[in-house]
Formats: sequence, C-alpha cells, structure tokens
Amino acid sequence: MNASHSIYDVIIVGAGLGGGIAAGVLAEAGQRVLVLERGRDLRYRDIPGDHLRHHRLSLYGDNTTHDPAGHPRVFVDPQGGSRTVFPHEAEYHNNALTVGGGSRVWGMQAWRFHPDDFRMVTRYGRPAGSSLADWPITYADLAPYYERAEHEVGVAGDHTTTHYAPRERAFPLPPVPSTPTGAWLARGAAKLGWNAFTPPLAVNTAPYQGRAPCVQCRQCIGFACPTDARNGSHNTLLPRALATGRCTLITRAHVARVLTDTSGRAIGVEYFAPTAPDSAQTERRTAFATTIILAGGAIETARLLLLSNSPQHPHGLGNHSDHVGRHLQGHYYPVVSGLLPAGFENPNLGPGVSIATTQFNHGNPGVIGGAMLANDFVKLPIIFWRSHLPPDIPRWGLANKKAMRELYLRGIDLRGPVQEIPSPDSRVTLDPHVRDRFDLPVARLSGTTHPETVRTAEFIRARAEDWLRAAGAERVWSSAMDLRLSASQHQAGTARLAADPRDGVTDSFGRVHGHNNLWITDGSLHVTNGGFNPALTIMALAFRAAAKIAAAH
Amino acid sequence: MPLSPTQLNALRALLDRLIPADEYPGALASGTDKFILQLLTHSCAAEATTLAQGLTRLDAEANSCHGQRFAALPATAQDALISALVQNRTTTPWPATVSAAAFVNRLIDLAAEGFYADPANGGNRDAASWRMIGYDPLLPVRPSAP
Ligand SMILES: Cc1cc2nc3c(=O)[nH]c(=O)nc-3n(C[C@H](O)[C@H](O)[C@H](O)COP(=O)(O)OP(=O)(O)OC[C@H]3O[C@@H](n4cnc5c(N)ncnc54)[C@H](O)[C@@H]3O)c2cc1C
Ligand code: SF4
Repeated sequence: MNASHSIYDVIIVGAGLGGGIAAGVLAEAGQRVLVLERGRDLRYRDIPGDHLRHHRLSLYGDNTTHDPAGHPRVFVDPQGGSRTVFPHEAEYHNNALTVGGGSRVWGMQAWRFHPDDFRMVTRYGRPAGSSLADWPITYADLAPYYERAEHEVGVAGDHTTTHYAPRERAFPLPPVPSTPTGAWLARGAAKLGWNAFTPPLAVNTAPYQGRAPCVQCRQCIGFACPTDARNGSHNTLLPRALATGRCTLITRAHVARVLTDTSGRAIGVEYFAPTAPDSAQTERRTAFATTIILAGGAIETARLLLLSNSPQHPHGLGNHSDHVGRHLQGHYYPVVSGLLPAGFENPNLGPGVSIATTQFNHGNPGVIGGAMLANDFVKLPIIFWRSHLPPDIPRWGLANKKAMRELYLRGIDLRGPVQEIPSPDSRVTLDPHVRDRFDLPVARLSGTTHPETVRTAEFIRARAEDWLRAAGAERVWSSAMDLRLSASQHQAGTARLAADPRDGVTDSFGRVHGHNNLWITDGSLHVTNGGFNPALTIMALAFRAAAKIAAAH
Repeated sequence: MPLSPTQLNALRALLDRLIPADEYPGALASGTDKFILQLLTHSCAAEATTLAQGLTRLDAEANSCHGQRFAALPATAQDALISALVQNRTTTPWPATVSAAAFVNRLIDLAAEGFYADPANGGNRDAASWRMIGYDPLLPVRPSAP
C-alpha cells in the first residue's frame, strides 16, 4: 500500500451535482481544490442507449455504474426482512454514480421550492411521530442563489408565468416549446380554473455557454444527451473549475473516511484510487486540506459521516444529537395514466415535459403540503408496455400487440413529486455484516416515510385524475399508494440544516456543527424536500455554502 | 446453451403466441428468442434453471391435455393452455420453486422486453416493433456531445 500526501485548500467528496457546483465556485475564487469521485468521467459514447439498462428503467443494470457488484447496499423491508441489493434494483435507491452524479442523466426539471416549503411546521404543525421541521433559512435567503443556479447552469423557463416563487430576473433561456398535449392539458386546467404553465427545465433551448441546443430526440431522461444540451454540473461548473488550473479531479477515487484531529477539526480524507489511471488495482491514499466538503448524495454522505467515527466521535461525525442518516426522504410520485382522444396528433418529442400546475402545492383541505403536477418525459416503448397500457388490455397475444400500436401515441400521464412528511425512522445506518469492495460497511436503508405522506399523495393522485378527465382523456386510471421507504433519485434529508445543533447536523449554511471546517453541499441538507424536484435547491444551497467558504478563506 | 433442444422448441412456440406475427413481424422474426437466450447466459443466468424447468412443465401440460408437446399444438390450443397457466390452472404437478403463473408471466415480460427494447438488445430486429407503434429515437447520426 502506498500513501501519498498532498495539501489542498479544499477537498470535495463527490463530483455530482452539489459537489460540482462547489468546485466551480471555489476554484474560481482562487482555492486549490481536489475533487474525489468514485465514478468515471463518462463521455457520450460511454453511456449506452440501452432501453433496459438506463436510469429510468434499470432492469438488468444501468448505463453509468462501472462496478455494480462492488457497491452493494442492504435494504430492510417494513416487515424487517433484509437483503443485499445492487445499484440497478429499486430497493438500492440509486442516483447516478459518475462525474455529474444524477445531473449526468437527469430529467432537468429545475424548480425553485415554494416559500412555504421552508416553513412546513409553522404552516401545518408537526404531525405526531414525524420529524417535520422548518428550515433555518427562508426562501428569500436562497433566492439569489436560485438565480445564480438558473443562470450559471442554464435553465429554460418563462418568468411571466412562474408566479409561485418570487423572482427578480428572467430565465436565461426561452422555455421549452409548447406541445399539442401541453395545449390540450392547458385547456383542461382552464376548465378547472387551475394555473398551468411551462415548467422550468435546465436544457439549452438555444445555444448557451458554448454548447448546442436540444434537438428534441426521443431518448431523453435517464440517458446522456446527444447534443450536450442537458445542463448539469459535468458540463458547467466542473469544467469551469478545471479551466482555472487550480482544480484536480480524480475519478474512480472512493473516499473511505474523513480524518479528524483530537479537537474535531477535519484534516483530510482517506480514499482508495487506482494505482494507475486504467488499472483495476487500487491503493489507499490520504489527502489533506484546510476545508473538507462532503457531496456524495444523501445516502453516501450519511454513510461517510458514520464511517468517520473516532474516539472523540464514537457515533460518527456530526452525529452529536443522533440526526445523521435519519429523516431519509425522496418524493412520493402518484402517476395517473389516460388516453388522448383518438386521432390526436402527437409528435411525441423530447424532453416531453411541457406543462405543470402549482395549484396544489399548499392549502389543500385536510392534508399537509402537496405537489406540483406535470406531464411526463417522452416515453420509451418498453416503459409504455410495462406501465401505461390500460389495465384491462391482455398482457400477451395479438390483442396486446394491437393495443401497443393503437395506443402508444395516445398515452398520456401526469405525475407529481409529493412533499414527504419525514420520519426519524426512515434512515441510513451502517450494515453490521455486508461490506463493499473496499471492505467498508455498506449503507443499510430501513424504515418508511410518515403515513401523512400517503394521505397527501392520495389527494394529489385524485387531482391528477381530475385534470386528465377535464382535459377529455378517454380513460383515466392509477394505482393507490402504499407506505414504504422513499429516497431514490430525489434522496435527501440525512444531514439536515438546523440553527440549533440539537435539531440537526449542520448550521444554516451547511457547516457540520462541532466541526468548523467540515461542510456538506448535497441533498442531505434538505430539512424537507419541497413539493418539487429537488436539484435546483441542492444547487442553490451549494452556491450559497461555497460563497461562504470562499469569503472565509 | 442454457436450454435443451426440446426446451428451446417449447420456448419458440410459446414466444410465437405471446407476440404473434400479423401484418407486422412477431417475436420470432424479431429475434426475441435469441435475446432471451442471451439474457439467460448473462444478466439472468440465475433464472435459467427455473425457466428451463418451466418449459419442460409446459410440454408436460400440453401432453397431459392433448397428448402432444406444446410446439405441436394448434394455436388455439396453445392460447387456451397459456391462459390456463397464467391463472395457475394446471393439470400436472409443478415444482415448488416454479409456479405456472410466475413462469408464464416472466416469459411475457421477457418477450416484451426483447421485442420493444432497442434493436441492439437483439430482440427487435430492424426496429420493427418501433415502426409498428410509431417510435423513432430521432438521435442525430453524428452526436455533437463529447
Ligand atoms: C434519471 C434521473 C432523473 C432525474 N430528474 C430530475 C429532475 O428532472 N429534476 C430534479 O430536480 N432532479 C432530478 N433527478 C435527481 C437529481 O439528479 C439529484 O437530486 C441530484 O443529482 C442530487 O445531487 P447530489 O449532489 O445530492 O448528489 P449526486 O448528484 O448523486 O452526486 C453524488 C456524487 O458523489 C459520488 N460519491 C458518493 N460517495 C462517494 C465517495 N465515498 N467517494 C467519492 N465519490 C462519492 C457519487 O458517485 C456521485 O457522483 C434525477 C435523477 C436521475 C437519476
Ligand atoms: S430531448 Fe433534447 S435534451 Fe433530451 S436528450 Fe434529446 S436532445 Fe438532449
């Protein structure tokens, strides 16, 4: 085993969305930054267009994970049975394990949270058994950083219709083109008296920052973009960091623990990396820095904090009040399907999401919070076959084949990310038995969301049905939601922000309480996850934390 | 080869009913059988034994009802047998590890996965199923992404 010692200003664990943003801001502010990413820096040609192995349908694998067998997790079902799971399985609760993280293959919906998403307890009270809490910051604190994210990553949207969250500047890119299905749904919303508008997407609808626009292909979410129009950290802030000459990115570098001194100061990290760029052999290395930032995503960041225990911190770093790994949440996603009227002209172009309503994010009778509702991304044939044929269509034979050709272009579905009511028992711990390829205990996922989440999700499901019916869908159907653990691509909450160290893991900027130079800039920080896709909020928090770190150095 | 020649015959006959040819090619003309064999030797190797057992049971069911292997039955009798098995209505004993319904439902899934996935997976020759339903990924011939 080799040990190499180097001194940086900042080490960032994870070149995903939040880590990539922090790298760009800090390197441009003059810091010498080391970014350690366990995945690879994948080019377009390295990410297969396999319809059975991508990030929306990963039946037998996905298109970014290099060594799936080397990174297991353990999933505990609500009955208490546990089993070892691998990245392509639903119970793994994966995001993408590559430079860019989830943003390499994401759907690009780039939503600001609603101002009331930051004060859920103030607005609704705390349901018994839940860990619902207000954020220690308000929408106004984050607004300038939302704006930075929209401009520096590149978001397409229409500021004249996006009213629920006050903004000062227009979006830098024109909104995605309207679609016939969007226009049809807009008429349905108008009948119901609901707001409906073009959702913000982080896609180049025009050339932007030196990259080409979207060509509206039909293989979008879960894949790499053929024109690089999908904006993420991998093609914006991370290249900006590297262009300064002050940022070093090491891929296939898996951080095993954060090193602290007896005073609790983080001094560096221990990681495993290949002995040579293409070697399968790895060696253990150490790197030192003045500031350490964790951005491994909500599950892996919690795992790393727990793995970094020491005699001074026997339960892991930041875990002084037993919040690390708890409140794991994502979004419940009611999906309602229907059929467009016969003869409807549906060009079925990507990205596909073209209309949304924020009518039901808050103020819903009898339930807590709510969700934005939108139409869906352009759908692959096999996904339509699996999940969107009407329930009474036979599953095989000529009748099924005929239904596929008659109904594929008539399929329409609405869905919405329901704000979860977090539970302290939905959590990441270290598994006592299963270890990864580096012999480190793996993440063990257990518990479920709070039952209030299911009630809100059922309310939202009914509204989505109303919308499809009002629009004139020929048939409308959906399935009831059940109580389960939810994390997956929208994973969040495992190292929550809290002004008081007793209430969470980090201060209101993302600095770990009790460890002055240890920061977090990923989804772990979210106290609650909003009734919207979470990534723009992850970016805004990362811009805000990085600006604070840069100012202090 | 995860299947015996007899099992392979049963598999092909079954696929031919799960996604039959009409004015558009069916599973067999699209190579869906080869897609499944490929899966059974790689991604789904762990399932090969139970699927092979299921195919043997399928022939046993056909024999018990009609005195012939599944592949030799007329299409209507094949369809009736598939419908019965999907509802777990059997006339011969199935091993505890393979229920008739789970076996047929798994093959229904595998057939569709091959037939409707991208041609590179091997079960959707010439993207015939995509042309049938009106799907084209519209990917640029020469991507401009790095
Ligand atoms: C198919 C798909 C569609 C999505 N669509 C949307 C959408 O439309 N809108 C939206 O808001 N969100 C969407 N998301 C979710 C979004 O991508 C995530 O919310 C976001 O990427 C999370 O950012 P993060 O920084 O928390 O973590 P990630 O982006 O997951 O980054 C974490 C990185 O850290 C690395 N890492 C982890 N542990 C270690 C370690 N120990 N050492 C070194 N590296 C490590 C990982 O490999 C990864 O690259 C989507 C995700 C997917 C997969
Ligand atoms: S639809 Fe547009 S953004 Fe999506 S992958 Fe195709 S070209 Fe890229």
